[in-house]
Amino acid sequence: AADKISLIPQDFFAELCEQIIQHLNHKIPGVNTVELCRRLQTSGIEISVGELAKITNAVSFLFSTAARNNLSTEDLVTTLGSAGSTLPKHAVQVIRHVWNEQSKSVSVSEDVGNMATVGQFVDMKWKLGVAVSSDTCRSLKYPYVTVTLNVADPSGQITDKTFEMTIPQFKNFFRQFKEMAAVLETV
Amino acid sequence: MAALREGEFAALRGLLKAPSKEAVRQLCQDCFSSPPAGLGPLAQRACPAIAASPEEAAQLVAALHSLTRHVVYRGLTRAEDVLALFPEDFHQNLKNLLTKIILENVSTWRNEAQASQISLPRLVDMDWRVDIKTSSDTINRMAVPTCLLQLKIQEDAALCGNSPVVSALTVELSKETLDTMLEGLGRIRDQLSAVANK
Repeated sequence: AADKISLIPQDFFAELCEQIIQHLNHKIPGVNTVELCRRLQTSGIEISVGELAKITNAVSFLFSTAARNNLSTEDLVTTLGSAGSTLPKHAVQVIRHVWNEQSKSVSVSEDVGNMATVGQFVDMKWKLGVAVSSDTCRSLKYPYVTVTLNVADPSGQITDKTFEMTIPQFKNFFRQFKEMAAVLETV
Repeated sequence: MAALREGEFAALRGLLKAPSKEAVRQLCQDCFSSPPAGLGPLAQRACPAIAASPEEAAQLVAALHSLTRHVVYRGLTRAEDVLALFPEDFHQNLKNLLTKIILENVSTWRNEAQASQISLPRLVDMDWRVDIKTSSDTINRMAVPTCLLQLKIQEDAALCGNSPVVSALTVELSKETLDTMLEGLGRIRDQLSAVANK
């Protein structure tokens, strides 16, 4: 992962580190690697989501370990150096700066939400559409609902899943959620 | 726009050699449902039943496919409209039989076409469960209700052909996130009512 870090410009890397810290502080549900990757690719940097995810995991692990062991900024930088990793200078600078500012606020206590081995629901976006024509039917009035779910996976990275439902499916979907809510009320 | 070219209607006359009306009906259904790429194999299977040469079978199957798809594309539902597609001198009984079969099936076929048109991945199933977290290695006692939801999503049918890929998405929701979801779904329901009333 170290050699890929050198591809990331300093300001993007700083933003990534900020998001990681905010995730560790439970201020945000996860790190938006997909979106960051898209922006990196748009500015001409060749990096895949998988590679960025590995980097995110590594840096997250670094910060959370440092928090658990109460490392000072100097200790952290020394550890980085002695671990034999060949991090580019600008990355080390960012890590030093971020840790200096934020280390006190990183709490390592587990909160209830982190125990999951499944993704955590973050947000839902939706769209209601009507298809008017297709290559198979010239004249249609076919309503459908499109939904995008943002989910933070256990490692804290946010991915999204988009799918379509027919109206009867949507009605069933809604009904099931109301049932879930009703059950949650009673337990 | 004519439904079929001249020669294609001629090819349909091969149906006169079909063993029964039921066989014609089945062939119509198979020809509609088959994608263009599947017409070759379909023709080979149909060949012996209609005692046609491979070329005649291929032309017949292609013509039936075009005719049935055309009717669905144009949304024709009346007998007059379907009958009008045929040339003046077309075999009367065969024309009437085909029109009858087509009208019987057109609504099913339209649904089939809509179900397989291009779309984003579709939701095919959902399962859920409510759990209560009672303790963990860091918190001794708690009673936190939580929802586990599993959505089965099928990738675009048009891209997967006959073996669609279904992926499962498992998501945990807390009471708060469930309320967020419900709020969003409620707004969709309101919009649906507004659209339905127009």
